[in-house]
Amino acid sequence: MDKEVAIVGYAQTPYVADFNESREMMVLQATRAVLENAGIKREELDTIVTANNDYLDGRTISNMRLVEPAGSWRKNESKVEMDGAFAMLYAVTRILSGDHDIALVLGESQASVYAGILPGIMMLDPTFDRQRWLLNEVSAAALQASAYMDASGVSEDQISGVAAKNLDNASRNPVAMRSIAGADAKKVKASRPLYSPITELMMAPQCDGACALVLASGKAAARFEKPVWIKGLGFAHDSYLTERPLDTMSSLKMAADSCYSQAGIEDASSQVDLAEVYERFAHEELMAYEALGFCEPMKGGAFFDSGATKMDGKLPVNASGGALGANVECAAGLARVIEAAMQIRGEAGDHQVQGVKTAVAHGQSGICAQENMVYVLGGE
Amino acid sequence: MAAKAGKEPVPRVSMPLDPPFAWSVGNWIEHFFDGMKEGKIRASKCPSCGRVYLPPRMICERCFSRADDWVELPVTGTVRACTKASVKVAENGDMVDLESPEIIAMVQHDGADTCIAGRLEADDASIGMKVEAVLNPKAENALDLLAGYRPAG
Ligand SMILES: [Zn+2]
Repeated sequence: MDKEVAIVGYAQTPYVADFNESREMMVLQATRAVLENAGIKREELDTIVTANNDYLDGRTISNMRLVEPAGSWRKNESKVEMDGAFAMLYAVTRILSGDHDIALVLGESQASVYAGILPGIMMLDPTFDRQRWLLNEVSAAALQASAYMDASGVSEDQISGVAAKNLDNASRNPVAMRSIAGADAKKVKASRPLYSPITELMMAPQCDGACALVLASGKAAARFEKPVWIKGLGFAHDSYLTERPLDTMSSLKMAADSCYSQAGIEDASSQVDLAEVYERFAHEELMAYEALGFCEPMKGGAFFDSGATKMDGKLPVNASGGALGANVECAAGLARVIEAAMQIRGEAGDHQVQGVKTAVAHGQSGICAQENMVYVLGGE
Repeated sequence: MAAKAGKEPVPRVSMPLDPPFAWSVGNWIEHFFDGMKEGKIRASKCPSCGRVYLPPRMICERCFSRADDWVELPVTGTVRACTKASVKVAENGDMVDLESPEIIAMVQHDGADTCIAGRLEADDASIGMKVEAVLNPKAENALDLLAGYRPAG
């Protein structure tokens, strides 16, 4: 899908434990910033898609009262109850319909509002798993990690290493919430044990924040500076977590394969310059290396050990610190797209990687990455 | 741009509701529960592809058909994933430390194609370990009919 839809503006609020402002003012901050970044006025928006979630907000129609701060009064407006990377898919299809030229996509939530990891438990099957109080997002991810480690031979040290890399990268990202400059794997492994092998520093931290981008049709993009083109996109979902093998992210692979065929990527390991991956837990980044075709199946640990995914490696992954630096539900996947676009535009500041022309961005939703979304982005 | 340094926290209000939902478990899970009252493990089977679902599912996602054949499975199975829990989730959503760690395992019963997550009464566990279900046929709460798992034999 060459030169049909472009990213022409982006913005992120700082990601923080408690924004100490209403959700509406947080969204207004993101919307105003993204319009300024794109150099457009609210009147020029044709369609607005937000990502937010009723059970995170404790109200139905969680986009209610976001009409004002998202600039969508009397405009074509809708929402997606998943990660913002999926809201972006919705906005892209609206532009491809030919009915709209300029779209705003926004993802937001406030962890300071909802009760810890209870919202994740609401994703479980309510006729059996939910009431038994054993599975939750973290214990499920630990089960996923154990299956993956058994199948691949990946070690706790390697998983800790991924978290250390991302926490160190996050120290150069001004909007990240959690960072540890010079973090080492030992510190990650020795942090508070949750569900083995997962320790506190291997789990993405819940926080408040909003991010947004402006999309333009190929025709409309001509008047913007430095458009970042969507070269391909793919999405796929998988079975409920007890009904699928947990040692592989097979729906991420399906999403990537479909995306790469649109983007003309035959060998991701040589054609992709940088990736932003939505790793809700450190081991998921290793699993994503495999599913995204950066290395062979079950070789994620060795690929990490090669140093390829470090800031100065041949394929840096999560130069921003990824979700381990800040995990806003409904926003963190969209933030991966924004970070990838910033890298292509050369605007990533202290965490800029040189010479990024083609980048992959990944979003996910659901327990153990049940749904996955992949984009390939490129510059001129 | 966010919370200004030194700024007073904004006041908060809490939700006054504790909305009580009650789901029908459907005839399949009911049949599964009724079986455990007699010490039996009942799984549903897709008549079209033969996939065996435990816990029983009503519909085979692969065939788009009703999974309405039934098979009785042994209490034995294999650990496919496991974790040692150092915490549990409190009612307010926080993870609080357990006094002593417990094992949660994903168990595939012999003859089933899917897994059940359950507590495993063991000091340690590993993938591939053979386990058996511990049933509690007299349990008042249907969800306690399957008490958990223990090492087989
Ligand atoms: Zn079937």
